[in-house]
Amino acid sequence: MFINKSMTKNVITIGPDAGIEEARNLMEKNGIRHLPVVLENFKLVGIVTDRDIRSAEPSCVLPEAEIKAELERISRLKVKDIMTPDPVSISPANTLGDALVLMKKIKVGAFPVVDQEGKLKGIISIRDLMRAFINVLGLEEPGALLGIIVENRVGQMKKIVDAISEEGVSFGSILVAKHSDEDKRLVFPYLLTSNVARVKRKLKDSGFDLLDPMEWTLDQLPKR
Amino acid sequence: MRTTGLLYDERFLLHKTGPDHPECPDRLVVIYRGLDEGGFLQKLIRIPATPAKMKWIEKVHSPRHVFRVEEASLLDMGELGSPDNQLSPETFDTAVLAVGGILNTVDYVMEGRVENAFCAVRPPGHHAEPNKALGFCYFNNVAIAARYLQAEWKIDRIGIIDFDVHHGNGTQLIFESDPGVFYYSIHEHPSFAYPGTGTEFEKGSGPGFGTTINSTMLPGEGDEEFKRKIKKDLLPAIEHFRPEVVLVSAGFDGHVDDDMSGIRLSTQCFSWIGQKIVDIAERHSNRRLISILEGGYCLKILPELVRNHVGILLGE
Repeated sequence: MFINKSMTKNVITIGPDAGIEEARNLMEKNGIRHLPVVLENFKLVGIVTDRDIRSAEPSCVLPEAEIKAELERISRLKVKDIMTPDPVSISPANTLGDALVLMKKIKVGAFPVVDQEGKLKGIISIRDLMRAFINVLGLEEPGALLGIIVENRVGQMKKIVDAISEEGVSFGSILVAKHSDEDKRLVFPYLLTSNVARVKRKLKDSGFDLLDPMEWTLDQLPKR
Repeated sequence: MRTTGLLYDERFLLHKTGPDHPECPDRLVVIYRGLDEGGFLQKLIRIPATPAKMKWIEKVHSPRHVFRVEEASLLDMGELGSPDNQLSPETFDTAVLAVGGILNTVDYVMEGRVENAFCAVRPPGHHAEPNKALGFCYFNNVAIAARYLQAEWKIDRIGIIDFDVHHGNGTQLIFESDPGVFYYSIHEHPSFAYPGTGTEFEKGSGPGFGTTINSTMLPGEGDEEFKRKIKKDLLPAIEHFRPEVVLVSAGFDGHVDDDMSGIRLSTQCFSWIGQKIVDIAERHSNRRLISILEGGYCLKILPELVRNHVGILLGE
């Protein structure tokens, strides 16, 4: 659940006085888009992204002479000239949920992870969060999803779990999602079985409504 | 008319899965009875089932997995890994016999003793992975047949067509980097159905990139979407691949009457895909086609679907 379990620990970093060319090469070679900028004591001072580099480069539609002059000028620029200083960072003790919510708010692709002294400990990217939630959803384990519509009151989940457990089926995960009707909830058990027909019959016999898969919805778009 | 073989052995009924399990011995009882009542048995050449040599099963599965299945059967452990995979003491022998019968079928087809064949076997195979029993499957029958064709009959291009309503995760895993085995599967979309693999983005890997193709169907969809996807995704690709032998994972659980999925195929649609596959074998593989039973759990409709399928193999 904590960031330090899901972050990349061997971070590729760069110093503030390195050239842009070096930053670009590091990103290309390692297939990454974010380079935390650190001092020798690993204190985080900024972050430079592939977008920062592209914004600094001359437009490819300029006349060749101008491109050449610009490149000449850019070659003298240093990482500290184009980086985002003091970027939003997150602590190793923060949770994946914190990172998700923060990423939605700040709209960046990665957070440097720093300790209380401001030293870099790792980096967590949107890809790390995706991987974590693929695990949570059990998407790569063989199983099948069911969609059940329930009244929004205490005790419903127990009945579902009991009914499924009586069939001897194990759970990969259970998601609960909001329904457009506030008195209802959608429950999505991910079952580690191919034999869902029997479980479905059992749930129906226990009085649950199964939702048409084409009506399944895990996400509600923000209201405008 | 073509000469068509039938693999069926009463010992395939000995693998017992307990009460209320969809993959039950009665599936084969009704299939065999259906073929008998349809007057097909006299027209089919019977292929004997004999136990497979371990070396062929181990072309696909780890010795450890084989041992686990044997141990779980003999100790009567009840299930292997999940309640899906129910075992009885005879399960291991039945699974070995099914594989052996299929390898005999390969020999019959390759020796020209029959042109094509249907294998009415249990347990099914396409979910079984090298190290894992999954979804009622212990040994991957169709994959072992393909490996046997490669090793014993030196076949370079094998086409596997899987129309079971579930993705053949095991078969895909085994051949995803093998450019000599083309694997096509059409199934209910993995976000809605077991086993959760087989998205259209999975296309094989390394040298096998492009010889794995998946088509997915949404719950509620039927013949129209099925035919559209087969025409778009399977037919041009297999035309290009030119298989020397066609293997089929024949699952009949996408039928509208079968409650194992939300897919609603008609009886006629199964005949349509059967004919398309026979046409492929006619054009590319000198009629060599081996169709192996996978799923199909509605005991009412299953005999009719299999009878039609076998009728198409015979070219009636």
